Amino acid sequence: MSDLPALDEISTIQQRYADLGYVADRALALTLKLAGALHKPILLEGEAGVGKTEVAKVLAGVLDTPLIRLQCYEGLDANHALYEWNYARQILHIRMAEHDAAARAQLESTIFDERFLLNRPLLAAIRHPGPRPAVLLIDEIDRADEEFEAFLLEVLSDYQVTVPEIGTFRAALPPYVILTSNRTRELNDALKRRCLYLWVDYPSAEKEREIILRRLPMLDATLAAQIATTMQTLRQIDFYKRPGIAETLDWSRALLGLGVEEITPDVLLDTAGVLLKHRDDVARLRAAELGRLLAGEAPASTTSRQVS
Amino acid sequence: MNSPGTALVERTLEFFGRLREAGLPVPPARSIDALKAVAVAGSLDEDDYRLALRVNLVATREQERLFEQVFAEYFHGAPDTRRYRRGIRGETMQGNLGHHEKELDQEVTADPGQFTPQDVGRRLDLAERWDPAAPPLEAVIRELARRLATRPSRRTKAARRGGRIDLRRSVRRNTRHGLELVDLTRSARRTRRTRLVMLCDVSGSMDSFNPFLLRLMLGLQQLMKNSRTLVFSTHVTDITAALRTRSVAETLREVGLQVSHWSGGTNIGGALARLNRGLVREGSASSTVVIVISDGYDNGQAEQVGREMAQLQRHVRKIVWINPMYGATTFQVRAAGMKAALPYVDHFLPAFDAKSLQLLVRGLEQV
Repeated sequence: MSDLPALDEISTIQQRYADLGYVADRALALTLKLAGALHKPILLEGEAGVGKTEVAKVLAGVLDTPLIRLQCYEGLDANHALYEWNYARQILHIRMAEHDAAARAQLESTIFDERFLLNRPLLAAIRHPGPRPAVLLIDEIDRADEEFEAFLLEVLSDYQVTVPEIGTFRAALPPYVILTSNRTRELNDALKRRCLYLWVDYPSAEKEREIILRRLPMLDATLAAQIATTMQTLRQIDFYKRPGIAETLDWSRALLGLGVEEITPDVLLDTAGVLLKHRDDVARLRAAELGRLLAGEAPASTTSRQVS
Repeated sequence: MNSPGTALVERTLEFFGRLREAGLPVPPARSIDALKAVAVAGSLDEDDYRLALRVNLVATREQERLFEQVFAEYFHGAPDTRRYRRGIRGETMQGNLGHHEKELDQEVTADPGQFTPQDVGRRLDLAERWDPAAPPLEAVIRELARRLATRPSRRTKAARRGGRIDLRRSVRRNTRHGLELVDLTRSARRTRRTRLVMLCDVSGSMDSFNPFLLRLMLGLQQLMKNSRTLVFSTHVTDITAALRTRSVAETLREVGLQVSHWSGGTNIGGALARLNRGLVREGSASSTVVIVISDGYDNGQAEQVGREMAQLQRHVRKIVWINPMYGATTFQVRAAGMKAALPYVDHFLPAFDAKSLQLLVRGLEQV
């Protein structure tokens, strides 16, 4: 317990994240510190592929604690998020008790035993025994229904869950909660008010180079820098889906595997499938003047779509 | 936890005041949280102070930018770079809309131009474009409203009959009978209510606004109680209340009296901005379907149309754009505003002649 990695020094947080291959800027590190001290959830918003989910995964690594993940989707309801009774086992239990008078008498009290309770992510995070609080990742909350947001708000405001048949579970160690949203729709204001808010942007060329080298130390530093600047230029093109950091890393791995030493227009076109997942986007890339693009010139004919 | 000094607290509170003036809501609970965060951040480093306040006070990217700007102005007296501010203020801040709204709502008392309510009435009488062989207009509209009004949800609810037998719920209910399945529970799809917001272009370039569309607008509004109808040219007017009257002719007279900007210029971007700031921010945005009826000719900025459409698309479930010119053989998307809007439109539907009206109805059925 003595080397419990507490999140109270910003530089320590940054260092620990860096050790696990994640480049955390000061804003993120400070937010993590505040989340721990004030027991507030963090809401990370940003385009897909900027590394929002990774923040939670790495946090679990830093704290050496389990990551409990709740992936949201339309129609997600309390049964899947909170808890459910294991009906199959309950039935089995009843059938067995039928042959034993003593057990039958006790059936009423044993049938709603905790043995038959299936912990879904939210309850699991609240019941996590420690020694350190769990990390609860509520991923892509913008995909869930509004009713679910309201329900989540209730759970997150006092970190307790009531199971009518058993009683109330109160978190001994409030979990670190990280919510992510791709901002496909606006979230409920009340939920946002509960959270610490951070917009996660695409990284700068410098930061992206650092990320590449942290993840793939065997990559040539010059090539890494070229990848980073190319990504910056590519993101200015009005693609339907602009490549994120996940794509950068995939591409870097691909180039490494192919033994590429320098990015040329041919290399870029041959490997475009790693970066762009939309047919029209690949066509748009083909139409661009790749030579000038790789020289770092901003694409001329495309108007960059305003992201507001 | 060392608490921030009184001087700092006072300065911070004054800064909050500045944020409120700039249009960022800072309710007391949040300001307390923000101050706590400053105490936790511990260091007196300016960056940390700024970030600790920021993560507590903002809730969108736009607010984040606004915060940064007000911070720079307040603590460093940075020159007011209006470049941001105008866009952002308008974009997220409710509080700032006071004067804006007044401007939009202004009843310009005058010149109804060549387009009088009587004209509208006359046009309505000529339901000539409706194919006589098709089912009667009223029936079609009623059917459309019924389909648009609800949609099946993925979620289910317990039901007496119909649907499927819900084994889980049944077992759970019957554990008390020692698992003899005495009563079965069934589950049926829930239905979700849709809210319709209609935004109709009544400017000069919409003289082709045909009787069918007017009927459609009125019919849907009257059948779907929670929907809203707005008309716009250079101004936006909410005519929902006027449409509550039963008689169509009477309604049109009333609308004609209310709306005095028939056949003016067109500001689509401004109208969409109004929606984004107001109506679609109210609660049930994600169950809202927006129907825009316009030819897309705009004397505002096409760029603004694109921006506001992108914003609107994120808020609402579907955007339907009915273009009365679409369907003509010579039709091309030439209007800059239309071009800017198209990428964000879920259903682009024609309304030019009888044939395209059939397409329109079929298209709306699929929304």
